[in-house]
Amino acid sequence: MDFKLSDEQELLVENVRELMLRENWEAYFAECDATHSYPERWVKELCELGFDQIMLPEDRGGLGLGVVTLLAVYEELGRHGAPTYVLYQLPGYETILREGTEDQINKVMSYLGTGKQIWNSACTEPGAGSDVGGLQTTYQRKDGKIYLNGHKTFITSSAHVPYLVIMARNADDPDVFTEWFVDMSLPGIKKEPLEKLGLRMDSCCDIYLDNVELSEADMFGIEGNGFKRGIGDFDFERFLVGACDYGTALCAFEDAARYANVREQFGKTIGRFQLNQLKFCEMAIKINAMKNMLYETAWSYDNGNMTSAQAAMCKYYCANAAFEVVDDAMQVMAGVAVAGEHRIQRIWRDLRVDRVSGGTDEMMILTVAKGILRSFK
Amino acid sequence: MKIIACCKAAPEEQDIVVRDDGSLDFSRADYKFGSYDLNAIEAARVLADQVGGEVIGLSVGSSELANSKLRKDALSRGLDELVVVTRSSVGEDANDSVSDLSMSDLSVSNLDSYQTAKLLADALEQMGDYDLVLCGAGSSDFYAQQVGNQLGALLGITSLSAINSIKPDVESDAEISEAATNIDSVIVQRLLEQEVQCVRVKLPAVLSVTSGINVPRIAGMKDILAAGKKPVKELVALGTPETSTQTISVKAPPAASRKQEIIQGDANESVARLLELASSVLR
Repeated sequence: MDFKLSDEQELLVENVRELMLRENWEAYFAECDATHSYPERWVKELCELGFDQIMLPEDRGGLGLGVVTLLAVYEELGRHGAPTYVLYQLPGYETILREGTEDQINKVMSYLGTGKQIWNSACTEPGAGSDVGGLQTTYQRKDGKIYLNGHKTFITSSAHVPYLVIMARNADDPDVFTEWFVDMSLPGIKKEPLEKLGLRMDSCCDIYLDNVELSEADMFGIEGNGFKRGIGDFDFERFLVGACDYGTALCAFEDAARYANVREQFGKTIGRFQLNQLKFCEMAIKINAMKNMLYETAWSYDNGNMTSAQAAMCKYYCANAAFEVVDDAMQVMAGVAVAGEHRIQRIWRDLRVDRVSGGTDEMMILTVAKGILRSFK
Repeated sequence: MKIIACCKAAPEEQDIVVRDDGSLDFSRADYKFGSYDLNAIEAARVLADQVGGEVIGLSVGSSELANSKLRKDALSRGLDELVVVTRSSVGEDANDSVSDLSMSDLSVSNLDSYQTAKLLADALEQMGDYDLVLCGAGSSDFYAQQVGNQLGALLGITSLSAINSIKPDVESDAEISEAATNIDSVIVQRLLEQEVQCVRVKLPAVLSVTSGINVPRIAGMKDILAAGKKPVKELVALGTPETSTQTISVKAPPAASRKQEIIQGDANESVARLLELASSVLR
């Protein structure tokens, strides 16, 4: 088994590090976090290096490098305190290329390299969270047009994306669920931003749809395919959440390790106290486990056989292990971590959100268990 | 226009360990092209893109130059080709067909700035015509800032240091495209202590650029992937030149304990206090 990255992968990682060290990005991230702003300047610089081409196929002008490479980049970005959670759609062109019409694909592709947020999908409603089937938003055909009505909530990125892919049920045949590629500048759409504990550099809104007029050309994918479309894409997104959480934990862990080597109490560095040493041992084991789980899953993805259970395992384990690591790191750094403006505060808040958003811990557990038990039937 | 960018691979500073006796342990340090050399590569690329032409990297060193990642790193940052000189033919008659047995690795740690300049000059003679040779301000390890000037002297062409700007010597942008590869002089700015000197330099010439002449690009992912497909040539040096200096020892200065005097408050008072402290130390 060879864990070594190729020359090219190592250089990508080194150059990402160079970008992260060229300026004090932390000041920018802290400001974006405080003001709920998307860190577009940083994402743009990342895209100038080709970040949004990593997963884009070569025939679309991308690099098609695969998920192991993507993970190595996430790892390095996370290590330097970058909010990789805002990047989730940039490696996700596969969905658009597979499901989108040529017109929809062109609309999304026109944003390549800009660093701007482009689209997200919208399922969740006040009465439909983990139970997506309970959603009440409807589409209805009338005089050759389609009218969308309903209320979506907790929709990530929705304050600024130009497009949302909105899941709705047919008003005249409620068992048919279909997605619609909706231009967010259309009349009848109202956005209400929500406050959030973490992941504050990305927006989150309530979306009200009042007779939003669409045409058949705005359908995303096939009519009635709404739920089936999501599964594979959810798996990829869940893996990315794991990758993001792991990188973030690495950042806090390394900050704490450096601190433990210089902070002195009772005449010696605090890293020499056994209660802290236990924390470092536990943190390191969790970091190692996350890393190996993620790289193995990435390798499976690149070889076309990542399972839903693997992806859910990554999200469930990494969201929790990363949170525990960061919590321990916070304990090591004590006053420095909880008072003042250390980035570990932001990281701690962000990680707490990831146990809920993108599929709750509880739903991940069900997916993992189902996948495991099925293989013994 | 054919531009040569000279570059040297040196151990990465943060990985060099200072032993208790002040001697340096390089065993854990990876080699990387020096950051000042990246300014030379960038300046070469920018000029070549402006007037048309190619940029060839040239490096003299030892086994570290065999590292494929190191080579790709340099090639991804704007070179069209890389030429490395890592071995020299040993023996009286360099014209004999060279076999592996009669060659030795150049030992990078033993090369002084004269030897480096001489080996670069020999390599340039083997490489044929060129218009411009660019060097960084200094290597990232010894930073002697000598190689550029010595190289110019050895080649018998103009050499200038402290170059903070290079422009093709043309009246208008339109002339650039007409002139294409036939630019025979450049206008440079030299950053001197009190003034900026503007010089028209006849080509070929050797110019050593400042670290402020540009911000070297971070290679994009496409550039990195393309780097592996670019040519790397290995030249054999005709013998190893005599040393001009002798290194007695290289040691890190002992770490001094800091006074931890932090001056705060009003600017005038702070300056006065700083002056007082500094003069008490320097007295």
